[in-house]
Amino acid sequence: MRVPVGAKLSAFALVIMGSYTYFANSIPQIESKPPAELSLEGGDVSPAQLVKLGEEIFHTKGTCEICHKIGEKGTRAPDLAGVGARAAHRKPGYTAKQYLIESLLEPQAYLVEGYPPIMPKVDKPPIGLNRSELWALVAFLESLGGTIDVKLDDIPKTAGAPAGGGTAAAELTLPGDPKAGQALFTGKAICFTCHTVDKIAAGKIGPDLTQIAKIQTPQYIMGKILNPAAMGTVPGYPKGVMPPTFGQMLTAKEYVDLVAFLLTLK
Amino acid sequence: MTSAATRRRVGHAAATVLFLALLTHALPAAAQELAREPAYRAFPLIGSRLAVWAVAQLHLNFAAFILGVPVFAVIIEIIGWWTGDAKYDWLSHEFVKLVFAAFSTTALLGALLLFLFVGFYPRFWAFMTNIFVTTYWIYALLFFAETFSVYLWYYGWNWLSGPRKWLHVSLGVVSNLFGIAILFIANSWLTFMMSPTGITESGALKGSVWGAIHNATWMPINVHRLIANLVFGGTIAGAYAAFRFLNAETDDERARYDWMGYIANFVALSAFIVLPFAGYWLGREIYAFNQTMGITMMGGFMSWLWIIQAILIGVLFFGNNYYLWLGMERIPGSERYRKYIPYMLCILALGFMVWATPHSLIVTLQEARAMGGTHHPLLGVFGVMSAKNTAVNLMILTTFLSYVLYRRANKLSIRPWVLTGMAIQWAAFVVAAAIVVFYGVYGYFVESIVRIGFSVYQVGAVLGAIVLVMTIDVPMFRGARSTGPIRWGQIPPRSQYVLILLAVTFTWLMGLMGFARSGIRQYWHVYGVMRDTSVDAVTPALGYASNMITLVTIVFFAFVMFIFWLGGLSERGEAGAHPPVVAAAGSGSRAPRR
Repeated sequence: MRVPVGAKLSAFALVIMGSYTYFANSIPQIESKPPAELSLEGGDVSPAQLVKLGEEIFHTKGTCEICHKIGEKGTRAPDLAGVGARAAHRKPGYTAKQYLIESLLEPQAYLVEGYPPIMPKVDKPPIGLNRSELWALVAFLESLGGTIDVKLDDIPKTAGAPAGGGTAAAELTLPGDPKAGQALFTGKAICFTCHTVDKIAAGKIGPDLTQIAKIQTPQYIMGKILNPAAMGTVPGYPKGVMPPTFGQMLTAKEYVDLVAFLLTLK
Repeated sequence: MTSAATRRRVGHAAATVLFLALLTHALPAAAQELAREPAYRAFPLIGSRLAVWAVAQLHLNFAAFILGVPVFAVIIEIIGWWTGDAKYDWLSHEFVKLVFAAFSTTALLGALLLFLFVGFYPRFWAFMTNIFVTTYWIYALLFFAETFSVYLWYYGWNWLSGPRKWLHVSLGVVSNLFGIAILFIANSWLTFMMSPTGITESGALKGSVWGAIHNATWMPINVHRLIANLVFGGTIAGAYAAFRFLNAETDDERARYDWMGYIANFVALSAFIVLPFAGYWLGREIYAFNQTMGITMMGGFMSWLWIIQAILIGVLFFGNNYYLWLGMERIPGSERYRKYIPYMLCILALGFMVWATPHSLIVTLQEARAMGGTHHPLLGVFGVMSAKNTAVNLMILTTFLSYVLYRRANKLSIRPWVLTGMAIQWAAFVVAAAIVVFYGVYGYFVESIVRIGFSVYQVGAVLGAIVLVMTIDVPMFRGARSTGPIRWGQIPPRSQYVLILLAVTFTWLMGLMGFARSGIRQYWHVYGVMRDTSVDAVTPALGYASNMITLVTIVFFAFVMFIFWLGGLSERGEAGAHPPVVAAAGSGSRAPRR
């Protein structure tokens, strides 16, 4: 029986593709996972835990080891073995932690001789470490031959990218007044009766809003005030309790002030 | 209080009232709208990412084909018009027929891709639309323009012949210009996702849309894709010719499709030789835009992808050369050049081995200890860019030499300066090879930042040699004495399988490169600006990606075979549908010119 040309060519094509697929499946399989967000603010963490977390960030989210090696001279960036001790003598008037923090946030401020100015600001996207992660990373670098003395407060408040979350549409600049919003929260809008906000309110009927701006987008917060049912209910809390009347109850300015206040809760 | 202060306050109050009045209407509505809009929806069964991946890859394959083939179809038509040789006109028409059949499938897949974005990635789509909405209209208008001009080009083949041929050729040129403009616009969207510019930190457009279009990788991708489309179009057209050749029932038909396959492969090979240079440029721009992205691509989790790419490109080099060597068997007089084939094969094999050598090896702990690390003491030397650049440039030179020998296989120059010309040509080859090897070795002794610049000298030497050799070759063999006509149709059938191999390999390679381009963004829709927070934010490993690429490639070829079959239906029952434009061996017709 004569095999049709089309069948022969198809079989031939399948063998070719099968070979490539087999080879691609037989080499090291590495996935690239999105990094998790680390938050240590207000948390009780020991130096040893901090160093461990920092080391993990060094190898993962920080992407440091793409260029930096520890105990091995790199071609793109300096060897970091002993950097904890060395950092104290790099720049006059700088302590080790000051130098390390500056190196991470403003990497071009001081360049080690012989290396190109290629290091990105690690608190900006795409790396985008937050303050907690920067704290841990500096602690890890200090541990490489130095003394771990960095505190969260040493990391500038302005450092750290906001948590990613399809942020493009979320970047709204509100003209509201957070102070007026806080007054509304504890007054006319009666939010305090149901919600907790650290040192401001202690309601238990609804979710704790102490870090609401950190865990939710502005869109969610704005939508939740105007149309709570449409935004769903946080698991563990009763449905239909939040009044759907804030859109009528608050003026536009009050609404904007309230949102501005909630967006400060990080 | 002064009157000026009062006026200021009144002014501020009025502005506030106006702002709040607008806000009352606009902000809550906008907020509610945004709040209701989910960022992602899940595509049934396979998930949104696989759906978009499959459709995007299929669409890109078809788009590459319908944009690439008309470029060389119109060139072939111009050659036919210029020389008055009917076979070129027939071939050009044959190519456009293939495009024509694939046109509507491309548009349908494009529409499907759009629906997937709008439906399953609404926030991402809204973000892109905010920036690129102006380009959508231009794209749509250009698509109309291209569709109509290609339709007119195809249907008007007979109508616009004879004295009106110039008008027909112009239509082909214009439709190509529209097609290239469409390609450039679509590229602006995807390159913006890789290397966004012209926007604020929050993702809003800073100035005009041009700022976003003209990003770091836009022009390198434009050039890279334009060249790759030519290669792709050539290989698919070659596969079509191979299919027709193997199914041919007469010598004339075999001769015709042998010649068509040769031309299609010639186009693919010509473009393929310069493709790596466009790739270097793109790579350099990625590094210039963001070192982290560049290093992730070449030295991070994607580093093994380049070993697969090396194997695929190695197969393409071997395939192209083998096809040319097989083709020489049907050329009387080529015997004098066959002695060079083993040497060329040797250079290709060595180059391939170097290029496919990984920088670090997967070894057991004991093996690593025995070697003193994951880099093999000898082979590790070949795993770096210096060696790989040297290898690929030598492979390009060798392939070019194969073509030069094929080109002159049945020709004997009658020029009095032939010896001088040939000496200069050989010198050009030797000097180019020496420059490539010199900078390859020197690269081991300098810093990486200097070494990167060496690839420019290597590429320059190879391109310079190609230009110089061809500049001498064309006049040297013009009017040459023939050692006999090419026996079209008498090529071994395995040569046609080589054409299929090239088409399948290049299609698979395009899928792999698509994964590389998209994958280096990792968990970002728009790198560093808009993060992927969907369940599919993980960039899969190469095995998973290759399974996907294979599936899509199979579907693509199934579509292509169906479309080509449909295209062939119109020929059935048409007696003498093809005049014997290419002479079969022994037919006594005029020998076709190459």
